[in-house]
Amino acid sequence: MLEDVGEVTEAIPIPNVNENVLKKVIEWCEHHKGDPPAQADDDSDSRKKSSDIDEWDQKFMQVDQEMLFEIILAANYLDIKPLLDVGCKTVANMIKGKSPEEIRKTFNIQNDFTPDEEEQIRRENEWAEDR
Amino acid sequence: MMQPKAPNREDLGQTWSYLEAGVEKIMKDLQTGVDMTTYMGVYTAVHNFCTSQKAVNSSPQTLHNSGAVHRGGAVAHLLGEDLYKNLIGYLSKHLTALKDEASGHADEALLALYIRDWDRYTTAAKYINHLFRYLNRHWVKREMDEGKKNIYDVYTLHLVRWRVDLFDHVQKYVMDGVLKLVEKQRNGETIETTMVKSIVDSFVSLGLDESDSSKSTLDVYRQFFEKPFLEATTAYYQMESKQFVAENSVVEYMKKAETRLAEEEGRVQMYLHPDIYGPLMKTCQKVLIQEHAPLLREEFQVLLDNDRQSDLQRMYNLLSRIPDGLEPLRTKFEAHVRRAGTSAVDKIADEGGDNLDPKVYVDALLEVHTQYQHLVNEAFKGEAEFVRSLDNACREFVNRNKVCKSASTKSPELLAKYADSLLRKSAKSAEESDLENKLSAIMTVFKYVEDKDVFQKFYSKMLAKRLVNFTSASDDAETSMIGKLKEACGFEYTNKLQRMFQDMQISKDLNDSYKAWLEGKGESASNGVDFSCQVLGTSFWPLNPPTTPFNIPEVIVQTYTRFVEFYNGKHNGRKLTWLWHLCKGELKASYCKATKTPYTFQVSTYQMAMLLLFNDATKISYEEFEKSTGLSKEYMEPALAVFLKAKVLTISPPGSKIGPGTQYSLNFDFKSKKIRVNLNMAVRAEQKQEVEETHKTIEEDRKLLMQSQSAIVRIMKARKVLKHVVLVQETIGQIKSRFTPKIPDIKKCIDILLEKEYLERLDGERLGIIAPLFWLKLLAKSRHRLLGLRNCCDRRHDDY
Repeated sequence: MLEDVGEVTEAIPIPNVNENVLKKVIEWCEHHKGDPPAQADDDSDSRKKSSDIDEWDQKFMQVDQEMLFEIILAANYLDIKPLLDVGCKTVANMIKGKSPEEIRKTFNIQNDFTPDEEEQIRRENEWAEDR
Repeated sequence: MMQPKAPNREDLGQTWSYLEAGVEKIMKDLQTGVDMTTYMGVYTAVHNFCTSQKAVNSSPQTLHNSGAVHRGGAVAHLLGEDLYKNLIGYLSKHLTALKDEASGHADEALLALYIRDWDRYTTAAKYINHLFRYLNRHWVKREMDEGKKNIYDVYTLHLVRWRVDLFDHVQKYVMDGVLKLVEKQRNGETIETTMVKSIVDSFVSLGLDESDSSKSTLDVYRQFFEKPFLEATTAYYQMESKQFVAENSVVEYMKKAETRLAEEEGRVQMYLHPDIYGPLMKTCQKVLIQEHAPLLREEFQVLLDNDRQSDLQRMYNLLSRIPDGLEPLRTKFEAHVRRAGTSAVDKIADEGGDNLDPKVYVDALLEVHTQYQHLVNEAFKGEAEFVRSLDNACREFVNRNKVCKSASTKSPELLAKYADSLLRKSAKSAEESDLENKLSAIMTVFKYVEDKDVFQKFYSKMLAKRLVNFTSASDDAETSMIGKLKEACGFEYTNKLQRMFQDMQISKDLNDSYKAWLEGKGESASNGVDFSCQVLGTSFWPLNPPTTPFNIPEVIVQTYTRFVEFYNGKHNGRKLTWLWHLCKGELKASYCKATKTPYTFQVSTYQMAMLLLFNDATKISYEEFEKSTGLSKEYMEPALAVFLKAKVLTISPPGSKIGPGTQYSLNFDFKSKKIRVNLNMAVRAEQKQEVEETHKTIEEDRKLLMQSQSAIVRIMKARKVLKHVVLVQETIGQIKSRFTPKIPDIKKCIDILLEKEYLERLDGERLGIIAPLFWLKLLAKSRHRLLGLRNCCDRRHDDY
């Protein structure tokens, strides 16, 4: 953006992110500013392993759920890929190993299937269940 | 700054009109800059729209029950399409407006407009691409990941729209403008070359790889720029060259073509795409050179005749650029050099007649060679094929010219004579470095001589003479020349020459030990006669035993027998043959009245024997000479003639012809300006006879060699593998009927056959035959052809 607009003194408006979240994002960026730039096609290993979160990031992500999702949204909006990855990995870790009921509880999702519907979906996806 | 309110993220109409305003500003009014608020505003609006919840519900493609998903982002990819389509609509509208504007312009004005619009548009495209980054990152990326065609990132989309909505309509007119501009420049006018360059860049940028938008291809450029450009080039130069050739000379045309080619090369560098270099050069070469090649080639002979080196170089450079351009020149060149060589020889053959000076002859050959070698190196860049043409031509005129007439043996003979004249001591001996150069020049001609054995024969004859008579100018020069010959023809060729050198050294030592031997016996070394001799190996020296009987004069008999005694004591069983006809001596004439210091006569041994008779008499008859010396009249009569001519003797009756019945008296009134008088002169007739003899021996040698070789091959064909000794024995047995071969000759033949790879050395003693027959079997597929070859081959062997 700066290369398009040029160096400016006026503040850059970031309408989609509130102060608290932005502070967290900046804190994260400050900590990681010395990181080597990610390789272009780094899709393969470390980015995909959800367990692979460094200690500082784990601690950083120990926030309430609302804040966690705000950070993920901000990272998406601001195009901060590593932060987005860390956020998503954290959420993935929260889901891992839980039953649907537990997940609903964790994320406060209301089950609006009728029992019949639920039964049907369960049957359709039987093959994927870990027995 | 006035800023429209951020749009409702769920309302497409609102969002788009907000975005359109931003895009429009960037597209049309970029120079005033974009402020942060707008920039972030647009980016946020795109983001918000793509992640809005409402849109999920309104999207007809949503299949899932919305309640199942808590956050809208999960199906955000469904939400970019509307923005993407709207953007396309906007771009088409914008470009159509540009197209309409362009249709009112032509030529340079059109180019300027096109370039201005292109620059503006592509710059804006970069900005817009960044502003729509969220769309690229999510919607476009997923569409592309799913393999949808005709979806591009926002920047590429700009290029695609440009191509479809503008380029396809105006490219023809733009190209017309470009071509007119280039034509102007070709006509010598100055043009704005950056314009053309910008157009080229623009055309290149439009080449999109359909399968991978991050790569570009040159397809668009090739089709819409390169093709018409090359066509225009062809037309232009066809016209120009046709006209130019009609009005100017070929040489002028070559200059013109050269300039034009250089210009086009510069054009590529200056403002065209490097990719066009090959095709453009090919086009120009075709029109400028290929189409006029016959004309150029016609001029080649004229240029050769007038020795126009720089024009020849020009022609070479031009024709070397087209395929097979030079081949006809090479043929012409070869013929020309041959003619030049032949006519140079004709000229000196007419002037020199029979007594052609070898130097003049060799110089004439060399001059032609040097001239055209220079031409090949300078004008034809020393190109291998031209060198070969030169070599072919030289070989022709060196071996077949007026001097050689019927046989090609005359060239090597004259060449050897010339070498002799350089290496022999003479008043005008050349400087060392100069001599070396001349010897190298001889080797140049030698290289072309076909009958190298003839050269060898004459050369060794003359070398023998130089050594025996101590008339060699310099040992270094002799060694250098032998070295050169060895380099050219191998060890075998110069073996004898080298042995001759060695014999000279051995003889020197022998004379020393002879003197010591004499002293040891207490006899005076001189005994009134100073004596020295050279003992030379018969098989290495091209010397023949004397053909006349000879009675050794009394005075030297003692010396003769003593040396024979000494030598036999040293080397028992060796046979000494005395070559009296090559010997010489000096006599002191103390009888002359005219001077106090006695004259010294330098004479041959035969002459010496004759003069020594006058120690006992003052008048001697023809018959007495004959009886006392035992010489045949072929040797005696010329000697007498020399004495008479020098007035050492007088004939009576005066004025009569030499022959039986005449008398000869010592001339006491003999006078000479010099104290030393050389009477030992070879008679011309003798020389001529010698040449003929040499030619004859060459022929005989050849015959013998052939016969022995074919005998060897016949034996080996039958026996396949034989020991060396056995082969020699069998060969002698086979050809004994025709002549008695010498063992060394047979060995030599075997060596030659080994060298030619007819035979091979197996282990140690044994020899095998690599008859061409064996590898012919491998070479020829059809039995029929094999038989044919085999017959040829057999015949070749039998011919030996």
